[in-house]
Amino acid sequence: MTTTLPTDELSVIGVTRSFSVGTQLLQALQDVSLHCQAGSFTALIGPSGCGKSTLLRIIAGLDRPCSGQVMIGGESPLEKRRQGALGVAFQDPALLPWRSVRQNIALPLQVLRRKVPDQQERIDGLIRLVGLEGFEQARPGQLSGGMRQRVAIARSLVTSPSVLLLDEPFGALDQILRRKMNVELQRIWTTSRPTTLMVTHGIDEALFLADRVVVMNRNPGRMAHRIDVPFPRPRLPDLFSAPDFHRLEDEIAGYLYEEAG
Amino acid sequence: MIKRVLRTALPGLLLLLLWELVGHFHLVADGALPAPWGIIAQYWQDRDVYPVHIWATLQPAMMGFCFGNAVAILLAFLFVLMPVTERLLRGFNIAVFAIPPIALSPILVIMLPGTWPQIMLAAVLVYFPTMLMTLLGLRDVDPRPIDVIRVYGGGDMAVLRLLRLRSCLPGLLGGLRVAAPAAILGAILAEFGSGSRWGLGSFLLGSIGQGNPNRIWGIGLAATFLAAIAYTLCALLAKRFTATITSVTLPSGNIEATNARPNWQRGTNWLFSAAAALVPFFIWWAVIASFGVSPVIAKTPLGVWDYLFRTAGASDNRTEILQALEQSLPMASIGLFIALGFALGLAVMGTIWRTFTAVIMPAALVLQTMPLVALTPIIVLIFGRGVTATLVVTVAVTFFPAFITIAQGLAQVPKPALDVLDVYGAGKLQKLLLVSLPASLPYLCAAARLVAPASLLGVMIAEWLATGYGLGELLNVARGELDYGMIWSVALVSVGLSVGFYQLVSLVETIALRRYRTA
Repeated sequence: MTTTLPTDELSVIGVTRSFSVGTQLLQALQDVSLHCQAGSFTALIGPSGCGKSTLLRIIAGLDRPCSGQVMIGGESPLEKRRQGALGVAFQDPALLPWRSVRQNIALPLQVLRRKVPDQQERIDGLIRLVGLEGFEQARPGQLSGGMRQRVAIARSLVTSPSVLLLDEPFGALDQILRRKMNVELQRIWTTSRPTTLMVTHGIDEALFLADRVVVMNRNPGRMAHRIDVPFPRPRLPDLFSAPDFHRLEDEIAGYLYEEAG
Repeated sequence: MIKRVLRTALPGLLLLLLWELVGHFHLVADGALPAPWGIIAQYWQDRDVYPVHIWATLQPAMMGFCFGNAVAILLAFLFVLMPVTERLLRGFNIAVFAIPPIALSPILVIMLPGTWPQIMLAAVLVYFPTMLMTLLGLRDVDPRPIDVIRVYGGGDMAVLRLLRLRSCLPGLLGGLRVAAPAAILGAILAEFGSGSRWGLGSFLLGSIGQGNPNRIWGIGLAATFLAAIAYTLCALLAKRFTATITSVTLPSGNIEATNARPNWQRGTNWLFSAAAALVPFFIWWAVIASFGVSPVIAKTPLGVWDYLFRTAGASDNRTEILQALEQSLPMASIGLFIALGFALGLAVMGTIWRTFTAVIMPAALVLQTMPLVALTPIIVLIFGRGVTATLVVTVAVTFFPAFITIAQGLAQVPKPALDVLDVYGAGKLQKLLLVSLPASLPYLCAAARLVAPASLLGVMIAEWLATGYGLGELLNVARGELDYGMIWSVALVSVGLSVGFYQLVSLVETIALRRYRTA
């Protein structure tokens, strides 16, 4: 299932965001700039509280920057999301407990007032893509944690988004399941190649999936290092144990601990 | 700062001015709504009697508040430590919750001396909210710290001491907040038909015939003020201990699993249910037996049975009650539906239009704290003595708890679910229809269950004080004629009806929630 979809480039230009905590002003993001080419996969990695999620929320139009701006294919996030051009998956799958898997995946279509029956084939295709055949009518309460997360991934893809935003989508899963989901996400992503930005805590996850890893520092939140990931696609599970992979892992870990220490 | 004060104070001042004008020119129901200035002037005239009336209501209310809460808290602890006791007392709890206080009041008056009817009725009204909220607080504990305590060999008592005691505080204090105005209401209700001269209830009852709207409104406002102070004191206390907690994740867990009972309990289920249904009758019988009041006055369950099925006029007695039921039941059902629809509509408007909540909340709070008996004469002054007045009283009684519960449900919709919709540019209405409303379905059900018994109470109060038919009137007449059998029968029927209402709504709730979570 290879379809060419319109992808957009993503630009974050000088974004600053601060929160007031009590009397103190917390600088969550300071003058952050980032450019993601159309069809690229970028991983954002950094310690807790470095503003990764805040940045993602700003790109999704869920939060506003104090200054600076975000452009997606030359338009603002708010304009872009009305076209259904964005897809998101959070650490919390945020499924509606009263809806079946199929209905949960159809939710964005309903919001955008698109006809769900026309898309039924596509929805079933996504269910197959994330490996949930036979669970179309199941409710979230009847699924395991990993399965719920797959539903959330399928939902993020249902509008054929040009930009995909993932906020630690596998953060709540165990290491074994997480690695399995990484392999699957790569397979799913390769079928449509939306411009993707993923926030994560896992160095191996970032290296396995991304074309480029961006390391962030905190106090204030800012971009510290950018590492290009040279491994060709498709990447196979053996990559996790390749020496080059470990070398890059150590390099990134070094950037992270240098700041922590 | 000044701007903010102005923005909140200005609508109030304008409303007051409007009220003064409307009252001054007798625009509502031919002067039934008096001007604030007239009410203040009346206060000045009655300044000698008010302190005595207020104290006569406040003192038993406070005693009942302490007494009822003590029992409520003790039983809540017992229920947690020995869950079997809760199942046995389930019928008792529901009966206490569902008792229309107005039906209990004449019975307490004929059974108890002095201010004890007031104290007892206040205690009865206080019991349920405090017991329920304390129990919820004790039960609803994060399971992980429990595991930690168990790992170090702690038992049930250790969990209670280290964990539950602290975590039940917000619930307990929230219960007290609801209980405080209820205590005042109980004390006032028990003054009805007590023949006592002092107290706001007696004052109100005596003033209804005088055709002086200024005084009726004055008494109503005084009672409201009293209840509002009690509510505020408890709310301030509760605020110190309660942190607002909104769930961050969507609970998609399987409810079936948590409800599973061990096999040995399933077999004995019907036995427990039967016992739970019999316990209230046993308590009734035991209380009467221990009081040693004449069987002519104090009827046991058997005495009521005799009155309805075995004495000479038994069939007449039954017909009278059935006729009254025919008048009261439809009113209670219609009132319940209107109140729920109204509460849902306002709660929804509150989520769509934020300032609306700011405007409606003070008015709703007044409705909540205003003892409904004080409200009824005012409603009668405005709406007359017909069906409308009955419905308005019923809605006024049931509206606030329903509104609070539904609004709470709408406010607790998990944020990630709304974020997902935001990403696709959903409007407020779409978020409401697709997420907020279905997510708060359990709260809507809880609201219906909560206010179902209250709707019968509202109808009976309106009938007693205003319209002159139905169960409320039957009770009032029986009280006047010292027809003890009828007093007990109406009380029993209205309690049974309230419990039936409650169980019916619970059944609908169970079915709705089962469809909601699993396929």
